[in-house]
Amino acid sequence: MTDGGLDASGDSMTDGGLDATDPRTLPGFFDALADGELLGGVCSDCGQVLLPPRPACYACGSRAVDVEPQSPEGQIFSYTAVHTPPPAFAADAPYTVAVVELADGGRLLGRVAADYADVTIGDAVELTVREPTATEREVALDYESDWPVHVFEPR
Amino acid sequence: MPDPVIASVGASPLGRTDLPGRDLFSVALAEAFDDLPDPADIVEAVYVGNQSETYEHQIMQGTLLAEWAGLRHVPAERVEGCAAAGALALRHAVKDVRNGEHEAVLACGVEKMTSAGTSGATDALSAAFDRAIEQRSGITAPSQYALLGQRYLHETDATERDLAEIAVKNHANAARNPRAQFPKEIDVATVLESDPVAPPLKLYDCAPVGDGAAAVLVTTAEMAADLDQPQVRVAGSGASANNIAVAERDMTDIAGARIAAETAYDEAGIDAEAVDIAEVHDAFTVCEALLAEAAGFAPAGTGYQSYQPPAERADGWTDVQLSPSGGLKARGHPIGATGLLQALEAYEQLTGAAGDRAVEDAETALLLNEGGVADAVTVGHVLTTAEAP
Repeated sequence: MTDGGLDASGDSMTDGGLDATDPRTLPGFFDALADGELLGGVCSDCGQVLLPPRPACYACGSRAVDVEPQSPEGQIFSYTAVHTPPPAFAADAPYTVAVVELADGGRLLGRVAADYADVTIGDAVELTVREPTATEREVALDYESDWPVHVFEPR
Repeated sequence: MPDPVIASVGASPLGRTDLPGRDLFSVALAEAFDDLPDPADIVEAVYVGNQSETYEHQIMQGTLLAEWAGLRHVPAERVEGCAAAGALALRHAVKDVRNGEHEAVLACGVEKMTSAGTSGATDALSAAFDRAIEQRSGITAPSQYALLGQRYLHETDATERDLAEIAVKNHANAARNPRAQFPKEIDVATVLESDPVAPPLKLYDCAPVGDGAAAVLVTTAEMAADLDQPQVRVAGSGASANNIAVAERDMTDIAGARIAAETAYDEAGIDAEAVDIAEVHDAFTVCEALLAEAAGFAPAGTGYQSYQPPAERADGWTDVQLSPSGGLKARGHPIGATGLLQALEAYEQLTGAAGDRAVEDAETALLLNEGGVADAVTVGHVLTTAEAP
Protein backbone atom coordinates (compact mmCIF):
# COMPACT_ATOMS: atom_id res chain seq x y z
CA MET A 1 0.00 0.00 0.00
CA THR A 2 2.94 2.34 -0.42
CA ASP A 3 1.88 5.49 -2.12
CA GLY A 4 2.89 9.10 -2.51
CA GLY A 5 6.45 10.36 -2.47
CA LEU A 6 8.23 12.94 -4.55
CA ASP A 7 8.94 11.36 -7.90
CA ALA A 8 11.49 12.46 -10.45
CA SER A 9 9.03 14.70 -12.28
CA GLY A 10 8.19 16.59 -9.08
CA ASP A 11 4.60 15.33 -9.17
CA SER A 12 4.19 14.37 -5.53
CA MET A 13 0.45 13.92 -5.21
CA THR A 14 -0.62 10.41 -6.04
CA ASP A 15 -3.53 10.02 -3.63
CA GLY A 16 -6.23 11.11 -6.05
CA GLY A 17 -7.52 7.55 -6.18
CA LEU A 18 -8.22 7.37 -2.42
CA ASP A 19 -11.57 5.79 -1.78
CA ALA A 20 -13.43 4.50 1.27
CA THR A 21 -11.76 1.10 1.09
CA ASP A 22 -8.31 2.66 1.58
CA PRO A 23 -7.18 2.42 5.23
CA ARG A 24 -5.69 5.88 4.92
CA THR A 25 -9.33 7.08 5.01
CA LEU A 26 -11.45 6.79 8.14
CA PRO A 27 -14.00 4.37 6.61
CA GLY A 28 -11.19 2.10 5.50
CA PHE A 29 -9.51 2.27 8.92
CA PHE A 30 -12.72 1.52 10.82
CA ASP A 31 -13.71 -1.31 8.44
CA ALA A 32 -10.45 -3.04 9.30
CA LEU A 33 -10.89 -2.25 13.00
CA ALA A 34 -14.35 -3.81 12.95
CA ASP A 35 -12.62 -6.99 11.80
CA GLY A 36 -10.28 -6.72 14.79
CA GLU A 37 -7.31 -5.36 12.89
CA LEU A 38 -5.68 -2.12 14.08
CA LEU A 39 -3.98 -0.54 11.08
CA GLY A 40 -1.40 2.22 11.38
CA GLY A 41 0.33 4.39 8.89
CA VAL A 42 4.09 3.93 8.95
CA CYS A 43 6.23 6.59 7.31
CA SER A 44 8.68 4.91 4.99
CA ASP A 45 11.05 7.87 5.33
CA CYS A 46 11.23 8.38 9.10
CA GLY A 47 9.37 5.44 10.62
CA GLN A 48 6.73 7.50 12.44
CA VAL A 49 3.57 5.52 13.24
CA LEU A 50 0.33 7.35 12.45
CA LEU A 51 -2.91 6.31 14.17
CA PRO A 52 -5.20 6.31 12.29
CA PRO A 53 -3.33 6.13 8.95
CA ARG A 54 -3.38 9.27 6.80
CA PRO A 55 -1.82 10.36 3.53
CA ALA A 56 1.05 12.38 5.01
CA CYS A 57 3.51 11.98 7.88
CA TYR A 58 3.22 14.72 10.50
CA ALA A 59 6.74 14.15 11.72
CA CYS A 60 8.60 14.73 8.46
CA GLY A 61 6.01 15.73 5.87
CA SER A 62 6.60 12.72 3.65
CA ARG A 63 3.67 11.33 1.71
CA ALA A 64 5.31 7.91 1.47
CA VAL A 65 3.12 6.28 4.10
CA ASP A 66 2.78 2.50 4.27
CA VAL A 67 -0.14 0.87 6.07
CA GLU A 68 0.77 -1.92 8.47
CA PRO A 69 -1.04 -3.92 11.21
CA GLN A 70 -0.22 -2.66 14.70
CA SER A 71 0.06 -4.68 17.88
CA PRO A 72 -3.00 -4.19 20.11
CA GLU A 73 -0.80 -4.40 23.20
CA GLY A 74 0.52 -1.36 24.98
CA GLN A 75 1.08 0.55 28.19
CA ILE A 76 -0.76 3.41 29.86
CA PHE A 77 1.14 6.63 29.05
CA SER A 78 -1.28 8.97 30.81
CA TYR A 79 -4.83 8.68 32.12
CA THR A 80 -7.70 10.47 33.79
CA ALA A 81 -11.39 10.06 34.55
CA VAL A 82 -14.15 12.14 33.02
CA HIS A 83 -16.48 13.41 35.76
CA THR A 84 -18.14 16.13 33.64
CA PRO A 85 -19.01 14.33 30.40
CA PRO A 86 -20.51 15.68 27.19
CA PRO A 87 -24.31 15.12 27.23
CA ALA A 88 -24.02 12.09 24.93
CA PHE A 89 -21.93 10.18 27.48
CA ALA A 90 -23.59 11.41 30.68
CA ALA A 91 -24.78 7.94 31.70
CA ASP A 92 -21.24 6.52 31.57
CA ALA A 93 -19.54 9.02 33.90
CA PRO A 94 -17.18 8.81 35.59
CA TYR A 95 -15.25 6.85 32.98
CA THR A 96 -11.53 6.32 32.54
CA VAL A 97 -9.69 7.61 29.48
CA ALA A 98 -6.04 7.09 28.66
CA VAL A 99 -3.32 7.72 26.15
CA VAL A 100 -1.77 4.33 25.42
CA GLU A 101 1.66 3.74 23.95
CA LEU A 102 1.35 0.69 21.72
CA ALA A 103 4.04 -1.93 21.33
CA ASP A 104 4.80 -0.85 17.76
CA GLY A 105 5.41 2.76 18.79
CA GLY A 106 2.18 4.58 17.99
CA ARG A 107 0.08 6.32 20.63
CA LEU A 108 -3.71 6.21 20.75
CA LEU A 109 -6.34 7.69 23.08
CA GLY A 110 -9.28 5.60 24.22
CA ARG A 111 -11.51 4.49 27.06
CA VAL A 112 -10.10 2.07 29.62
CA ALA A 113 -12.34 -0.69 30.99
CA ALA A 114 -11.22 -0.12 34.58
CA ASP A 115 -11.89 2.28 37.43
CA TYR A 116 -9.57 5.27 37.62
CA ALA A 117 -8.28 4.14 41.02
CA ASP A 118 -7.17 0.82 39.52
CA VAL A 119 -5.07 2.35 36.72
CA THR A 120 -1.58 3.78 36.78
CA ILE A 121 1.06 4.90 34.29
CA GLY A 122 2.89 1.91 32.85
CA ASP A 123 0.02 -0.56 33.25
CA ALA A 124 -0.24 -3.14 30.45
CA VAL A 125 -3.41 -2.93 28.38
CA GLU A 126 -4.76 -4.47 25.20
CA LEU A 127 -6.94 -2.82 22.58
CA THR A 128 -10.30 -4.51 22.10
CA VAL A 129 -13.08 -3.59 19.71
CA ARG A 130 -16.84 -3.65 20.14
CA GLU A 131 -19.86 -2.53 18.17
CA PRO A 132 -21.29 0.89 19.07
CA THR A 133 -24.10 0.87 21.62
CA ALA A 134 -27.57 2.13 20.75
CA THR A 135 -26.78 5.38 22.56
CA GLU A 136 -23.54 5.80 20.65
CA ARG A 137 -25.35 5.20 17.37
CA GLU A 138 -27.88 7.87 18.29
CA VAL A 139 -25.25 10.56 18.61
CA ALA A 140 -23.17 9.34 15.68
CA LEU A 141 -23.07 11.15 12.38
CA ASP A 142 -24.73 9.21 9.60
CA TYR A 143 -21.44 7.98 8.19
CA GLU A 144 -20.12 6.98 11.64
CA SER A 145 -23.06 4.92 12.82
CA ASP A 146 -21.49 1.52 12.11
CA TRP A 147 -17.95 2.42 13.12
CA PRO A 148 -16.68 0.22 15.94
CA VAL A 149 -15.52 1.58 19.30
CA HIS A 150 -12.14 0.62 20.72
CA VAL A 151 -11.62 0.07 24.44
CA PHE A 152 -8.41 -0.72 26.30
CA GLU A 153 -8.68 -3.73 28.62
CA PRO A 154 -6.17 -4.25 31.44
CA ARG A 155 -3.94 -7.28 30.83
CA MET B 1 7.02 48.31 6.77
CA PRO B 2 4.62 50.18 9.05
CA ASP B 3 5.01 49.46 12.75
CA PRO B 4 1.73 48.00 14.06
CA VAL B 5 0.60 49.24 17.47
CA ILE B 6 -2.36 48.74 19.72
CA ALA B 7 -4.05 52.12 20.01
CA SER B 8 -7.06 51.29 22.15
CA VAL B 9 -8.79 48.44 23.98
CA GLY B 10 -12.15 47.67 25.51
CA ALA B 11 -14.05 44.82 27.10
CA SER B 12 -17.51 43.88 28.24
CA PRO B 13 -18.29 42.60 31.72
CA LEU B 14 -17.12 38.98 32.06
CA GLY B 15 -19.03 36.05 33.50
CA ARG B 16 -22.74 35.35 33.56
CA THR B 17 -24.36 38.31 31.83
CA ASP B 18 -27.82 39.09 30.46
CA LEU B 19 -26.44 40.32 27.13
CA PRO B 20 -26.26 38.33 23.87
CA GLY B 21 -22.96 38.23 22.01
CA ARG B 22 -23.50 41.16 19.70
CA ASP B 23 -24.47 43.35 22.65
CA LEU B 24 -21.44 42.28 24.63
CA PHE B 25 -19.42 43.37 21.61
CA SER B 26 -21.17 46.77 21.57
CA VAL B 27 -20.15 47.32 25.19
CA ALA B 28 -16.52 46.38 24.48
CA LEU B 29 -16.43 48.57 21.37
CA ALA B 30 -17.90 51.56 23.21
CA GLU B 31 -15.08 51.41 25.75
CA ALA B 32 -12.41 51.08 23.07
CA PHE B 33 -13.77 54.04 21.09
CA ASP B 34 -14.65 56.24 24.05
CA ASP B 35 -12.06 58.90 23.14
CA LEU B 36 -11.86 58.17 19.43
CA PRO B 37 -13.69 59.07 16.23
CA ASP B 38 -16.47 56.66 15.29
CA PRO B 39 -15.27 53.29 13.98
CA ALA B 40 -16.68 54.15 10.55
CA ASP B 41 -14.24 57.06 10.35
CA ILE B 42 -11.10 54.99 10.83
CA VAL B 43 -11.59 51.19 10.80
CA GLU B 44 -10.77 49.52 7.49
CA ALA B 45 -11.24 45.82 8.31
CA VAL B 46 -12.64 43.60 11.07
CA TYR B 47 -11.59 40.20 12.41
CA VAL B 48 -13.78 38.43 14.96
CA GLY B 49 -12.45 35.66 17.19
CA ASN B 50 -15.32 33.31 17.99
CA GLN B 51 -15.25 29.69 19.06
CA SER B 52 -18.61 28.22 18.32
CA GLU B 53 -21.90 28.91 16.58
CA THR B 54 -23.63 26.47 18.90
CA TYR B 55 -23.99 29.02 21.73
CA GLU B 56 -26.17 31.41 19.73
CA HIS B 57 -26.74 29.54 16.46
CA GLN B 58 -24.98 32.35 14.66
CA ILE B 59 -22.15 32.33 12.18
CA MET B 60 -21.33 35.34 9.96
CA GLN B 61 -19.94 37.08 13.03
CA GLY B 62 -17.71 39.27 10.83
CA THR B 63 -20.66 40.67 8.95
CA LEU B 64 -22.79 41.00 12.08
CA LEU B 65 -20.28 42.77 14.29
CA ALA B 66 -19.02 45.06 11.52
CA GLU B 67 -22.60 46.18 11.03
CA TRP B 68 -23.13 46.65 14.77
CA ALA B 69 -20.00 48.84 14.76
CA GLY B 70 -21.47 51.02 12.03
CA LEU B 71 -19.16 49.65 9.39
CA ARG B 72 -20.34 48.57 5.98
CA HIS B 73 -18.45 47.49 2.90
CA VAL B 74 -15.27 46.63 4.79
CA PRO B 75 -13.64 43.19 4.77
CA ALA B 76 -14.95 41.39 7.84
CA GLU B 77 -14.64 37.78 8.87
CA ARG B 78 -14.85 35.37 11.78
CA VAL B 79 -11.59 33.67 12.75
CA GLU B 80 -11.85 30.16 14.20
CA GLY B 81 -9.25 28.32 16.25
CA CYS B 82 -11.17 27.42 19.39
CA ALA B 83 -9.68 29.33 22.32
CA ALA B 84 -6.90 30.79 20.15
CA ALA B 85 -9.41 32.56 17.90
CA GLY B 86 -8.89 35.89 19.64
CA ALA B 87 -5.13 35.97 19.17
CA LEU B 88 -5.52 34.72 15.61
CA ALA B 89 -7.81 37.72 14.97
CA LEU B 90 -5.19 40.00 16.52
CA ARG B 91 -2.48 38.42 14.39
CA HIS B 92 -4.47 39.01 11.20
CA ALA B 93 -4.97 42.65 12.15
CA VAL B 94 -1.27 43.05 12.93
CA LYS B 95 -0.28 41.54 9.60
CA ASP B 96 -2.67 43.77 7.67
CA VAL B 97 -1.18 46.88 9.26
CA ARG B 98 2.38 45.63 8.97
CA ASN B 99 1.88 44.78 5.29
CA GLY B 100 0.54 48.24 4.58
CA GLU B 101 -2.83 46.83 3.58
CA HIS B 102 -4.73 48.87 6.17
CA GLU B 103 -3.96 51.66 8.65
CA ALA B 104 -6.56 50.66 11.25
CA VAL B 105 -8.03 47.22 11.85
CA LEU B 106 -10.42 46.10 14.56
CA ALA B 107 -9.56 42.76 16.20
CA CYS B 108 -12.38 41.65 18.42
CA GLY B 109 -13.67 38.50 20.04
CA VAL B 110 -16.93 37.38 21.54
CA GLU B 111 -18.43 34.32 23.18
CA LYS B 112 -21.82 33.81 24.80
CA MET B 113 -20.92 30.62 26.65
CA THR B 114 -23.63 30.64 29.31
CA SER B 115 -26.46 30.29 26.80
CA ALA B 116 -26.36 26.50 26.88
CA GLY B 117 -25.27 25.79 30.45
CA THR B 118 -22.17 23.88 31.52
CA SER B 119 -23.16 20.78 29.59
CA GLY B 120 -23.72 22.82 26.41
CA ALA B 121 -20.32 24.45 26.81
CA THR B 122 -18.71 21.05 27.46
CA ASP B 123 -20.25 19.74 24.26
CA ALA B 124 -19.30 22.80 22.20
CA LEU B 125 -15.71 22.70 23.43
CA SER B 126 -15.36 18.97 22.74
CA ALA B 127 -15.74 19.83 19.04
CA ALA B 128 -12.18 21.15 19.23
CA PHE B 129 -10.86 17.60 19.54
CA ASP B 130 -10.35 14.93 16.90
CA ARG B 131 -13.76 13.60 16.02
CA ALA B 132 -12.81 10.11 14.90
CA ILE B 133 -10.91 8.93 17.97
CA GLU B 134 -11.01 11.53 20.76
CA GLN B 135 -14.61 12.76 20.67
CA ARG B 136 -15.96 9.26 20.19
CA SER B 137 -14.06 8.20 23.32
CA GLY B 138 -15.94 10.84 25.35
CA ILE B 139 -13.05 13.22 25.86
CA THR B 140 -13.63 16.76 27.20
CA ALA B 141 -11.47 19.86 27.56
CA PRO B 142 -10.67 19.25 31.25
CA SER B 143 -9.89 15.58 30.64
CA GLN B 144 -7.55 16.42 27.76
CA TYR B 145 -5.60 18.78 29.99
CA ALA B 146 -5.77 16.26 32.81
CA LEU B 147 -3.88 13.82 30.56
CA LEU B 148 -1.14 16.45 30.27
CA GLY B 149 -1.32 17.18 33.99
CA GLN B 150 -1.08 13.53 35.00
CA ARG B 151 1.98 13.12 32.80
CA TYR B 152 3.51 16.36 34.10
CA LEU B 153 3.12 15.24 37.73
CA HIS B 154 4.66 11.89 36.75
CA GLU B 155 7.71 13.40 35.05
CA THR B 156 8.47 16.31 37.41
CA ASP B 157 8.61 17.12 41.11
CA ALA B 158 5.36 19.07 40.85
CA THR B 159 2.44 18.09 43.09
CA GLU B 160 -1.29 18.73 43.02
CA ARG B 161 -0.64 21.32 45.73
CA ASP B 162 1.73 23.19 43.38
CA LEU B 163 -0.98 23.31 40.74
CA ALA B 164 -3.42 24.56 43.38
CA GLU B 165 -0.96 27.31 44.30
CA ILE B 166 -1.05 28.53 40.69
CA ALA B 167 -4.84 28.96 41.01
CA VAL B 168 -4.38 30.74 44.34
CA LYS B 169 -1.84 33.15 42.81
CA ASN B 170 -4.08 33.92 39.85
CA HIS B 171 -7.09 34.55 42.07
CA ALA B 172 -4.95 36.92 44.15
CA ASN B 173 -4.05 38.82 40.97
CA ALA B 174 -7.69 38.90 39.88
CA ALA B 175 -8.69 40.35 43.24
CA ARG B 176 -6.94 43.53 42.09
CA ASN B 177 -8.49 43.47 38.61
CA PRO B 178 -11.86 45.23 38.36
CA ARG B 179 -12.52 43.42 35.07
CA ALA B 180 -12.14 39.93 36.57
CA GLN B 181 -14.93 37.37 36.60
CA PHE B 182 -13.75 36.13 40.02
CA PRO B 183 -12.08 39.10 41.77
CA LYS B 184 -11.54 37.24 45.02
CA GLU B 185 -8.76 35.45 46.81
CA ILE B 186 -8.97 31.74 47.55
CA ASP B 187 -6.80 29.38 49.60
CA VAL B 188 -5.06 26.14 48.69
CA ALA B 189 -7.50 23.99 50.63
CA THR B 190 -10.38 25.38 48.58
CA VAL B 191 -8.68 24.16 45.41
CA LEU B 192 -7.56 20.80 46.78
CA GLU B 193 -10.96 20.04 48.28
CA SER B 194 -13.00 21.11 45.25
CA ASP B 195 -14.90 18.54 43.21
CA PRO B 196 -12.95 16.27 40.86
CA VAL B 197 -13.45 17.25 37.23
CA ALA B 198 -10.78 15.09 35.62
CA PRO B 199 -8.07 13.97 38.05
CA PRO B 200 -5.60 15.35 38.87
CA LEU B 201 -7.61 18.45 37.94
CA LYS B 202 -10.34 19.69 40.27
CA LEU B 203 -12.95 22.38 39.82
CA TYR B 204 -10.64 25.17 41.02
CA ASP B 205 -7.89 24.06 38.62
CA CYS B 206 -10.23 24.97 35.75
CA ALA B 207 -11.01 28.32 34.15
CA PRO B 208 -14.71 29.12 34.35
CA VAL B 209 -17.38 29.16 31.68
CA GLY B 210 -18.41 32.75 31.06
CA ASP B 211 -19.61 35.37 28.59
CA GLY B 212 -17.50 38.19 27.30
CA ALA B 213 -16.28 40.35 24.45
CA ALA B 214 -13.13 42.34 23.83
CA ALA B 215 -12.10 44.87 21.20
CA VAL B 216 -8.54 45.83 20.26
CA LEU B 217 -7.76 48.57 17.74
CA VAL B 218 -4.57 47.93 15.77
CA THR B 219 -3.18 50.88 13.82
CA THR B 220 0.03 52.29 12.46
CA ALA B 221 2.16 54.13 15.00
CA GLU B 222 1.46 57.32 13.06
CA MET B 223 -2.29 56.95 13.29
CA ALA B 224 -2.15 56.19 17.02
CA ALA B 225 -0.12 59.37 17.48
CA ASP B 226 -2.60 61.36 15.37
CA LEU B 227 -5.39 59.98 17.55
CA ASP B 228 -3.41 61.05 20.63
CA GLN B 229 -3.69 57.54 22.05
CA PRO B 230 -1.25 55.73 24.36
CA GLN B 231 0.29 53.08 22.14
CA VAL B 232 1.88 49.67 22.64
CA ARG B 233 4.03 48.18 19.90
CA VAL B 234 3.25 44.73 18.55
CA ALA B 235 6.90 43.83 18.13
CA GLY B 236 6.45 40.16 17.27
CA SER B 237 3.80 37.65 16.26
CA GLY B 238 4.10 33.90 15.82
CA ALA B 239 1.72 30.99 15.37
CA SER B 240 2.04 27.24 15.14
CA ALA B 241 -0.33 24.33 14.67
CA ASN B 242 0.46 20.85 15.99
CA ASN B 243 -1.33 17.50 15.77
CA ILE B 244 -5.07 17.52 16.39
CA ALA B 245 -4.82 14.42 18.61
CA VAL B 246 -3.07 14.95 21.93
CA ALA B 247 -1.82 11.34 21.99
CA GLU B 248 0.45 11.99 19.04
CA ARG B 249 2.19 14.99 20.58
CA ASP B 250 4.91 15.39 23.17
CA MET B 251 2.62 15.94 26.15
CA THR B 252 5.05 17.84 28.37
CA ASP B 253 7.21 19.72 25.86
CA ILE B 254 4.59 22.01 24.34
CA ALA B 255 6.42 22.42 21.05
CA GLY B 256 3.83 24.57 19.27
CA ALA B 257 3.87 27.10 22.08
CA ARG B 258 7.67 27.11 22.12
CA ILE B 259 7.75 27.81 18.37
CA ALA B 260 5.07 30.52 18.57
CA ALA B 261 6.93 32.26 21.40
CA GLU B 262 10.34 31.95 19.76
CA THR B 263 8.99 33.29 16.48
CA ALA B 264 7.55 36.30 18.29
CA TYR B 265 10.81 36.80 20.22
CA ASP B 266 12.83 36.66 17.01
CA GLU B 267 10.64 39.24 15.31
CA ALA B 268 10.93 41.49 18.35
CA GLY B 269 14.68 40.95 18.57
CA ILE B 270 14.52 39.81 22.20
CA ASP B 271 14.85 36.63 24.19
CA ALA B 272 12.74 35.22 27.01
CA GLU B 273 14.85 37.02 29.64
CA ALA B 274 13.57 40.38 28.40
CA VAL B 275 9.93 39.59 29.14
CA ASP B 276 8.59 41.35 32.25
CA ILE B 277 5.01 40.05 32.22
CA ALA B 278 3.28 37.21 30.43
CA GLU B 279 -0.36 36.43 29.95
CA VAL B 280 -0.35 32.70 29.23
CA HIS B 281 -3.20 30.36 28.49
CA ASP B 282 -3.93 29.01 31.98
CA ALA B 283 -7.24 27.41 31.01
CA PHE B 284 -6.17 24.78 33.54
CA THR B 285 -3.52 25.30 36.21
CA VAL B 286 -1.09 22.86 34.63
CA CYS B 287 -1.09 24.98 31.45
CA GLU B 288 0.68 27.82 33.22
CA ALA B 289 3.44 25.43 34.31
CA LEU B 290 3.83 23.94 30.83
CA LEU B 291 3.74 27.32 29.09
CA ALA B 292 6.28 28.88 31.45
CA GLU B 293 8.67 26.20 30.21
CA ALA B 294 7.66 26.48 26.55
CA ALA B 295 8.10 30.26 26.64
CA GLY B 296 11.65 29.88 27.93
CA PHE B 297 10.95 31.37 31.37
CA ALA B 298 11.66 28.17 33.29
CA PRO B 299 13.95 25.16 32.91
CA ALA B 300 12.15 21.95 31.94
CA GLY B 301 10.25 20.49 34.87
CA THR B 302 10.17 23.67 36.97
CA GLY B 303 7.40 25.69 35.35
CA TYR B 304 5.07 24.79 38.22
CA GLN B 305 7.01 27.28 40.36
CA SER B 306 5.30 30.17 38.56
CA TYR B 307 3.38 31.04 41.72
CA GLN B 308 6.54 31.68 43.70
CA PRO B 309 8.29 35.05 43.93
CA PRO B 310 11.18 35.21 41.41
CA ALA B 311 13.86 34.91 44.11
CA GLU B 312 12.44 31.60 45.32
CA ARG B 313 12.15 29.85 41.96
CA ALA B 314 14.65 27.30 40.65
CA ASP B 315 17.91 28.42 39.05
CA GLY B 316 17.38 29.32 35.44
CA TRP B 317 13.98 30.92 35.92
CA THR B 318 13.57 34.49 34.66
CA ASP B 319 11.96 37.21 36.78
CA VAL B 320 8.78 37.24 34.68
CA GLN B 321 5.41 37.74 36.39
CA LEU B 322 2.76 35.41 35.00
CA SER B 323 -0.92 36.22 34.51
CA PRO B 324 -1.08 39.59 36.33
CA SER B 325 -4.70 39.89 35.14
CA GLY B 326 -5.65 36.77 37.09
CA GLY B 327 -5.37 34.73 33.93
CA LEU B 328 -8.05 32.64 32.32
CA LYS B 329 -8.56 31.02 35.72
CA ALA B 330 -9.86 34.08 37.53
CA ARG B 331 -10.00 37.00 35.08
CA GLY B 332 -12.24 34.79 32.92
CA HIS B 333 -12.14 32.78 29.69
CA PRO B 334 -14.89 33.71 27.21
CA ILE B 335 -13.24 31.55 24.58
CA GLY B 336 -13.11 33.69 21.41
CA ALA B 337 -12.40 36.86 23.40
CA THR B 338 -9.60 35.46 25.57
CA GLY B 339 -6.64 36.24 23.30
CA LEU B 340 -7.80 39.84 23.09
CA LEU B 341 -8.33 40.08 26.85
CA GLN B 342 -4.68 39.04 27.16
CA ALA B 343 -3.74 41.90 24.82
CA LEU B 344 -5.94 44.26 26.82
CA GLU B 345 -4.11 43.36 30.03
CA ALA B 346 -0.72 43.94 28.43
CA TYR B 347 -1.90 47.27 26.98
CA GLU B 348 -3.03 48.45 30.40
CA GLN B 349 0.15 47.22 32.08
CA LEU B 350 2.44 48.84 29.49
CA THR B 351 0.57 52.17 29.37
CA GLY B 352 0.36 52.68 33.13
CA ALA B 353 -3.35 51.92 33.29
CA ALA B 354 -3.25 48.73 35.37
CA GLY B 355 -4.02 50.39 38.69
CA ASP B 356 -3.39 48.30 41.80
CA ARG B 357 -2.15 45.32 39.83
CA ALA B 358 0.52 47.22 37.87
CA VAL B 359 3.79 45.32 37.59
CA GLU B 360 6.52 47.83 38.29
CA ASP B 361 8.63 48.96 35.34
CA ALA B 362 6.99 46.48 32.95
CA GLU B 363 8.11 47.25 29.39
CA THR B 364 7.78 43.94 27.56
CA ALA B 365 4.94 41.43 27.56
CA LEU B 366 4.47 37.99 26.04
CA LEU B 367 0.99 36.71 25.21
CA LEU B 368 0.41 32.98 24.59
CA ASN B 369 -3.06 31.93 23.50
CA GLU B 370 -3.87 28.26 22.79
CA GLY B 371 -6.68 26.55 20.93
CA GLY B 372 -7.78 22.93 21.16
CA VAL B 373 -5.88 21.03 23.81
CA ALA B 374 -2.54 22.69 24.54
CA ASP B 375 -0.66 23.49 21.34
CA ALA B 376 -3.14 22.19 18.77
CA VAL B 377 -2.72 25.81 17.76
CA THR B 378 -0.78 28.46 19.66
CA VAL B 379 -0.40 32.16 18.94
CA GLY B 380 2.34 34.25 20.53
CA HIS B 381 2.69 38.03 20.58
CA VAL B 382 5.37 40.26 22.03
CA LEU B 383 4.12 43.70 23.04
CA THR B 384 6.43 46.48 24.16
CA THR B 385 6.11 50.05 25.34
CA ALA B 386 6.68 52.68 22.67
CA GLU B 387 9.90 53.62 24.51
CA ALA B 388 11.33 50.08 24.79
CA PRO B 389 14.48 49.49 22.73
